[in-house]
Amino acid sequence: MKINYRQLSIITFMSFIALKFLALPSLLYLESKNMSMFVALALMIIDGLYVFVILDLMKKSGEKNIYEFMKSCLGKVISKIILILLILKYALVIGNISKGLEFFVVENLYSEYNWFVFVLPLMILIGFMIYKGIRNIARVSEMVCWAIVIGLIYIALKALSGIDVLSFLPFFLDGVQPLLNSAYRHISWFGSATFLFMLFGFVDFRSEKKLKMIKYIIFAILIVQLLYFVFYGLFEITSPTHNYCISDISQFSSTYSAIDELSWLVVSMWIVAQAVQLALYSYCLAQALKFLFDIKGNILPIIIVILYLLMWSFIGENTIRMERIFFSHFASIVTLLAQYILPIILEIVYAIKHRKGKNSSKKRVRDENKAKIRDKKEVKVNI
Amino acid sequence: MKIDAVKTVDEIKKKLHDSGDLKSRTVQFFGTQISLCYIAPITDNELLNNTLIYPLINFSSEIKGKDIVEVLNDRVLANQEVTIFYDLKSAVDKMLAGNTLILVDGADKILGCDLEKITVRAVAEPPTSVVIKGPREGFTESLKFNLALIRKRVKSDDFVVKMFELGKMTKTQIAVVYYDSIADKSVVNDVLKRLKSIKIDGVIDSHYLVSYLQRNKKSLFKQVGDTEKPDILVAKMLEGRVGIIVDGSPIVLTIPFILLEDLQNSDDYYSQPIRVTFVRALRLVGVILAVLLPGIYIALELYHYKILPTEFLITIMNSTQGIPFSPFIEILFVILLFEILYEANIRMPQYFGMAMSIVGALILGETAVNAGLVSPPAVMIVALSGITFYIIPGQASQFSILRLLGVIIGASLGIYGILLFCVFILSYLSNFDSYKSAYLAPTAPYIEEDQKDSYMRKTIDEMKKRPHAIASNESNKIRR
Repeated sequence: MKINYRQLSIITFMSFIALKFLALPSLLYLESKNMSMFVALALMIIDGLYVFVILDLMKKSGEKNIYEFMKSCLGKVISKIILILLILKYALVIGNISKGLEFFVVENLYSEYNWFVFVLPLMILIGFMIYKGIRNIARVSEMVCWAIVIGLIYIALKALSGIDVLSFLPFFLDGVQPLLNSAYRHISWFGSATFLFMLFGFVDFRSEKKLKMIKYIIFAILIVQLLYFVFYGLFEITSPTHNYCISDISQFSSTYSAIDELSWLVVSMWIVAQAVQLALYSYCLAQALKFLFDIKGNILPIIIVILYLLMWSFIGENTIRMERIFFSHFASIVTLLAQYILPIILEIVYAIKHRKGKNSSKKRVRDENKAKIRDKKEVKVNI
Repeated sequence: MKIDAVKTVDEIKKKLHDSGDLKSRTVQFFGTQISLCYIAPITDNELLNNTLIYPLINFSSEIKGKDIVEVLNDRVLANQEVTIFYDLKSAVDKMLAGNTLILVDGADKILGCDLEKITVRAVAEPPTSVVIKGPREGFTESLKFNLALIRKRVKSDDFVVKMFELGKMTKTQIAVVYYDSIADKSVVNDVLKRLKSIKIDGVIDSHYLVSYLQRNKKSLFKQVGDTEKPDILVAKMLEGRVGIIVDGSPIVLTIPFILLEDLQNSDDYYSQPIRVTFVRALRLVGVILAVLLPGIYIALELYHYKILPTEFLITIMNSTQGIPFSPFIEILFVILLFEILYEANIRMPQYFGMAMSIVGALILGETAVNAGLVSPPAVMIVALSGITFYIIPGQASQFSILRLLGVIIGASLGIYGILLFCVFILSYLSNFDSYKSAYLAPTAPYIEEDQKDSYMRKTIDEMKKRPHAIASNESNKIRR
């Protein structure tokens, strides 16, 4: 049940854009103002670089899954601790996407209805997709990816005409410090490559084309930048009051009703993107739980993930504000460790172990040669 | 086994419970009694007289000291296919398939001559795959005749026909056909293994085999392809597929099957590529309209009416005023009406069917609208969706169920539900691999080489490789 490199690139692309059009643009604006786009740009480039670091580890791991690979590098206990860290990261992303989806649906489509009714079919879909595995998620991503991209570009282009480019100037009015602060506080919205850890052993590298992955990452960055440009251009200093970038852009650009027909249908495609992303991170969470507790079947982790998803539908608006504060502190540390520190540690440990292995094999060969020479001498003596 | 020309005939008659169509004729051949035993309705009388009875009666050469059975086989029987049986059971089995048995007194074996009378209807254009340009020949109910239609197009020593019988009672002949160097060996073996393991009383039509060949037996979706035309079968075999021909059925099954196959039409390969690309895009839009349009309409009417253009909303409001049913019941009612009309229409005698469609479509629809039972938009939406089903006739039955599900989901969850429904269908089909071929290929997984003949079509000379989506012999991917 492996996925090919193209499918991996598409999943990565989807993961790169997944969390970016919810509350993130308005949160970034609070600190970095008109420079917010650059914060997103810098962090996405770093994420892009980390994709290749993790893929390098993935190739080194061969057929091993992440737990087996970490166990061989760091030992069982540390591996389990890291799994807990990854579980936290996935859980945070799932919570964020599911809450974002809830507000998106309730705000745009069903203001008079209870979200709880709508969450049940979503649970069935996610459960089914996780059960069918990563190949299923990859193939669905392949099918829906371009519809989502066209939708996003359509929304951005439609609103582009009403933007005053000069409103972005001047840059770096308060120096670089606010950008750094903002990057650290909201880093948990990034770390888009962490899902790759759970794909160890599931990727077929025979069709590897690094350029393809680079293209997809650049494309994701460009789309995010385009929509942020439109968002900040449209809302300027009122940006922090617009909590849901994607729906607010389409509403603002509409000419004669709250949402015009085509924009509305295009916006609806975003639901599909979120559902697929939810499935991807739920799959990662289920896998991590499986490794952590050595669970044999798939059903139990899926049930746990589904219940966890269901839990988010009970969390109300006030708690979400708390969750955002939580996201800015605790989640930043989790993301820093899970995405940015862990791959480096694994690379270093792997390199050291590999060198040791090389040295020991060299030593073994040397010893064997010495022994052979000694044996020959002994034979001569005997003669 | 020792043959007694008279007693063995009696034994055969007893074995067949004195069947009325079992006939026999006894002749003297150089003092030895020879009985001919055959089933009259399936035996060609002319062949029987010319190749058996006449040579037997008129043979006058010296045969002293020679074995009569050998003489018959070598010098008398003017038949192209003579089989020697060493047991009565297999001889009788062959007789039931059209052989005439020659029972020589005192011999230890039975001779069988294939004198089967092939009754076939005329070759006609199949109603399920009508073409504007291109071959119009269609398969008939005779396996031998169907093989002849294929052989006419295939003159390669690479073409393989594996024949065997299925059905305890019907002993229906089955032929598995493929190109040895193109078809994937494991797929061929899998198909043969599955077919040979079937334990069934009778195989009346090729569709009897479908459930044995499907991986997901209870699924709504089609997993085995079918065709009624030899040109399509040959084209499919050239791509690596395996054909299964059943005696008595004009429908030939093909394996592996991918969803895209039904989006393609044999006409596509006989028309201009640009036109074909346009038509395929239309078909895709047709599929979406067929399955989702009524569901989307219900969702918009019940949940998201605010997004409809004001003029359109006013039209709908005006036309739905005074309708006694809720929009959901109204659409359901129209769909039900449409399905009943469809069922009645295809089963009615042709001359009556035309009148029925006029009554159904015009009078019933018009009257229902005038009576205020249903609104014109509901009739229009269901009719449009119903017509678009037949853009891809091979999937019409699946689409009608999906449409119904779409309506129920649209009515209960709105557009959000319909979107999740679409993702669910995609997700379900993504795992639906049939005989080493991905069901949604070449879209998911995306196969770049196969895009030349997927939603768009390039010219024949540009399609240099066999499709990668179909499992076939890897070393023979290049067509030329």
